[in-house]
Amino acid sequence: MSRFLKKLTNYKWAALFLIFAISFAFFMIMKSNTRMETDLDKYMPEQHPAFVYSNMAEEWFNIKDGIIIAIENRNGIYNPGTIKKIKDITKALQKMKEIEKDDVTSLYTADNIIGTEEGMDVRPFFKKLPKDEEAVKKIQQNVRNNEMIFERLVSNDEKVTVIIAEIGDDSFSQEFYHRILKMAEGFEGPEKLYVAGRPIVEGTMAYLGPRDMKRMVPIVILVIVIVLLLLLRSFKAMILTMLVVLFSTIWTFGLMAAVKIPIYAVSTMIPIMLIAIGVADAIHLYSHLHLYMKEHPLASKKEATLDMIRGMYKPVVMTSITTAVGFISLITSQVYPIKYFGMFTAFGVIMAMVLSLVLIPAGLMAFGIPNWKKKSKKEAAAAEKQLSFRFSRWVTKYKYLTIILTIVIIVVSLLGIGKVWINSSFLEKFEKDSSIVITDRFINKHFGGTSSLNIILDSTEGDAFKNPDILNLMDKLQNDVEKLKIVGNSFSLADYLKRMNKVMHADREEYNTIPDSKNLNAQYLLLYEMSGDPENLWKVVNYNYRKANLLIQLKSDNSKAINSAIDIIKKYIPEFKKLNVNLNYAGSGYKGLIFTDLILQGQILSLLLSLLIVIILLSIMFKKITAGIIGSIPIIITATISFGIMGIFNIPLSTTTALLSSIAVGIGIDYAVHFIERYKIYAGETGDKIMTGQYTMLHSGRAIVFNALVVIAGFLVLLFSAFPPNRALGALVSLNMFTSFVGTISIMYLMLYMSNIYFKKDKN
Amino acid sequence: MTIKKIQILTLVLFIFSIFTFPQEKPDGLEIITKVYNRPAGDDQSANLTMTLIDSRGNKRVREIKQFLKDDKDIEKKIMFFVAPADVRNTSFMSWSYTKEGKSDDQWIYLPALKRVKRISSDSKSDYFMGSDFTYDDLGDRQPSADNHKFIRMEKLDNEECYVIESTPKEEEYMYSRTLTWIIKDKWIGKKKEFYDEDGELLKILKVEKYEKINGYWIILHSEMKNRQKKHSTKMSLKNVKINTGIQERQFTERMMKRGI
Repeated sequence: MSRFLKKLTNYKWAALFLIFAISFAFFMIMKSNTRMETDLDKYMPEQHPAFVYSNMAEEWFNIKDGIIIAIENRNGIYNPGTIKKIKDITKALQKMKEIEKDDVTSLYTADNIIGTEEGMDVRPFFKKLPKDEEAVKKIQQNVRNNEMIFERLVSNDEKVTVIIAEIGDDSFSQEFYHRILKMAEGFEGPEKLYVAGRPIVEGTMAYLGPRDMKRMVPIVILVIVIVLLLLLRSFKAMILTMLVVLFSTIWTFGLMAAVKIPIYAVSTMIPIMLIAIGVADAIHLYSHLHLYMKEHPLASKKEATLDMIRGMYKPVVMTSITTAVGFISLITSQVYPIKYFGMFTAFGVIMAMVLSLVLIPAGLMAFGIPNWKKKSKKEAAAAEKQLSFRFSRWVTKYKYLTIILTIVIIVVSLLGIGKVWINSSFLEKFEKDSSIVITDRFINKHFGGTSSLNIILDSTEGDAFKNPDILNLMDKLQNDVEKLKIVGNSFSLADYLKRMNKVMHADREEYNTIPDSKNLNAQYLLLYEMSGDPENLWKVVNYNYRKANLLIQLKSDNSKAINSAIDIIKKYIPEFKKLNVNLNYAGSGYKGLIFTDLILQGQILSLLLSLLIVIILLSIMFKKITAGIIGSIPIIITATISFGIMGIFNIPLSTTTALLSSIAVGIGIDYAVHFIERYKIYAGETGDKIMTGQYTMLHSGRAIVFNALVVIAGFLVLLFSAFPPNRALGALVSLNMFTSFVGTISIMYLMLYMSNIYFKKDKN
Repeated sequence: MTIKKIQILTLVLFIFSIFTFPQEKPDGLEIITKVYNRPAGDDQSANLTMTLIDSRGNKRVREIKQFLKDDKDIEKKIMFFVAPADVRNTSFMSWSYTKEGKSDDQWIYLPALKRVKRISSDSKSDYFMGSDFTYDDLGDRQPSADNHKFIRMEKLDNEECYVIESTPKEEEYMYSRTLTWIIKDKWIGKKKEFYDEDGELLKILKVEKYEKINGYWIILHSEMKNRQKKHSTKMSLKNVKINTGIQERQFTERMMKRGI
């Protein structure tokens, strides 16, 4: 292979032309075929049993996510103006083609089950707009008397009312998102309007995340360009390095477009990965070249280039393969976007390798070796040499200190890992003072909650949900779970029956219970169907009363909140089982929870898998198992510290942060491979352990520092991002680079030193 | 042609048009009123089977024994549930008044509660027992509540039909318009399309079977499909008996409690 690469240097122009032509072709494919996937449902593993069940249940009960529009009037909502707005907004929502008429709930559409002296009636709170004070007062009184509506649609202080529009996942689009916000804006004044709910949160995220990335990536690239210029001290070298990164990204996205795989949210991280990894090859190549030129100032560009290929092609290939393996292990994930992310990033890494080995030599041959001689001062080079020599001596001199420090850091990290928690929350990805979080807090303060969990009860018998035992158990569960602070409200068929029983007994509170006769329940339900809109019933029970949907409203969408509710619900499973009722969960909140769990499980599995494969690969490459194990030290440390820091600083694992462990492996291994490869060569050349350490530190250590500096500088820029997940990404990538680099030149070097690897046992 | 001749010709044409025009352009209101007033006997008893079918094809069947008595001012109706078992003997009684503006009286008896309760029916647009029929759809809507317009003649299932478009006089009625196919000379609505407030097709009613019983045209099978909710209701009558002399005293709260 090295022979092929060397031959290729004779065809520099052909190689350059070919690379540009391929890049142009991929760019054209990318331009015409790329499609962004914004439907979050497409991210879910559809075959997973929990998803299959949830999707089925969503269809049974028409469970959809609700957009919540809150109307606040500081002087109270009971005035003709605000009442008119409730009606107008309801109608405006119903007219939108994405929303079905029956899926809008407001004071205008809600059923009021009321007791009359002689019986019961179900009627709207208002149909025509109230003309006078008295009519408004009547609405107010009716709402106050109806516990199914009061504090659900109208706040306790009567200053806020909500309109809920349920919407199918597939009908949500960016355009619709902006249209609904604009519609709400049009109704402002004197009332204040708030728009919230999961579809809005998802919409905002899908809108803000990529927009922020688009703004940040050019700055990241600019910073990397500047740092590369400072470190490589050559404009030509910087350009060639950036071209490697740019072309490998184009090739990757071009291939993705060619095989018609859409861009998912995680795919937007691919360029970042390729920047971090792609520059490494180039930096190592230039570092080698630089040292060679220093030692052979009179060498021709052909000699220098050939030496660079000879000396570096092996570690460059090795590092790229091991990095690619780290990413390929992600195909074990059940989540398709992550599978694709792994596959295409691996492809990109290999392409970055090919480009580094072809484009850089061709570029050197075509445009000449960077002109370092004049600028590099003798003293600086000497200082560099002195520093790396001294550092390698320190490490071996204070070896126990190094080992103890490493152990302490690992132990602290392990303690931190215990505290790592997974968060499926979308809302917590936003700034605490962003308008979406404020809106959510506002609605949660006044109402049951913006997030929901559906409990699906499934019986083997028809008419099961007319059975008082089952209904009472549902009621008990609701009371129990409502004791949680995080649970604002719950709603089920039991609430309908309690309300009707009370109303049929002249509104007497002692009848706010489930009747103990199955027939009476059946007759109440028939009565409800005869008087009201039975459509509302089918949201809580299915057609033949065999399945029921119990809705729990939560004031937070984070995993801790959902899990605390599930912990209570779980205790009811055996009791329901006794009554031949199975209990399951459904809804987007629950799916989000499962989804995050899956990502994490997959992540841990693939991390372990890639670690194993990397150890095997290193053992084969360096022909020693010890080398494989020692080489994996920086990765293990990096991953441990990365997770530890997340635990200590309360950064939850999410889809973004979980993927970072792949970076830890991908980059950590590069440093180790370069270092060990150099160490092996110098060990063979010098036969002296101390000198080997010193020269390896000078040669490899320098390149590693450069690489770490470039990427850390670039990613620290993300700390200024407006979108918190991007900030966490920047901080953690920088951290991973730093720990990989420190781990490689300290503890890993020490282990190499102490293991006496590549030195004969009997040393002189 | 003299002036006189022209005058005579004009007169002839005018007279001619008076006689022919009503036949070519029948009056919508007149047709609808004929349907509304089609005689159906003074009383009727029958077994009604109501089948409700949801969008997934799930079915719920209700069997009802119903009695009807119609004098000029009040139509009285009493219904007893026979099946399903858990609502057996639940009964429903309604008195609807011919007099305009007077709303119906309705009662329900729940045997498990052992009490008769009045249910109010402010709105004729309420759905009848969870079916796809509103009270209005079942034939209660006064012809004078709408403006009617004859659209065309059309052949439907081998019957010559008038197609009438009706638009409500009141604001905010649940339908913006309806189209009715009425069988010529039988005055039976064969098919009806209901359009919602936004002018979108909401429901289609089809009469599948009708028979002459004791000299009256009685609709035996009909089906209402809600196109938006994908829900449908089938109504079928069996054992229809007309003019058997059902007494006024059959329609009391006491009879509701007694059951069948």
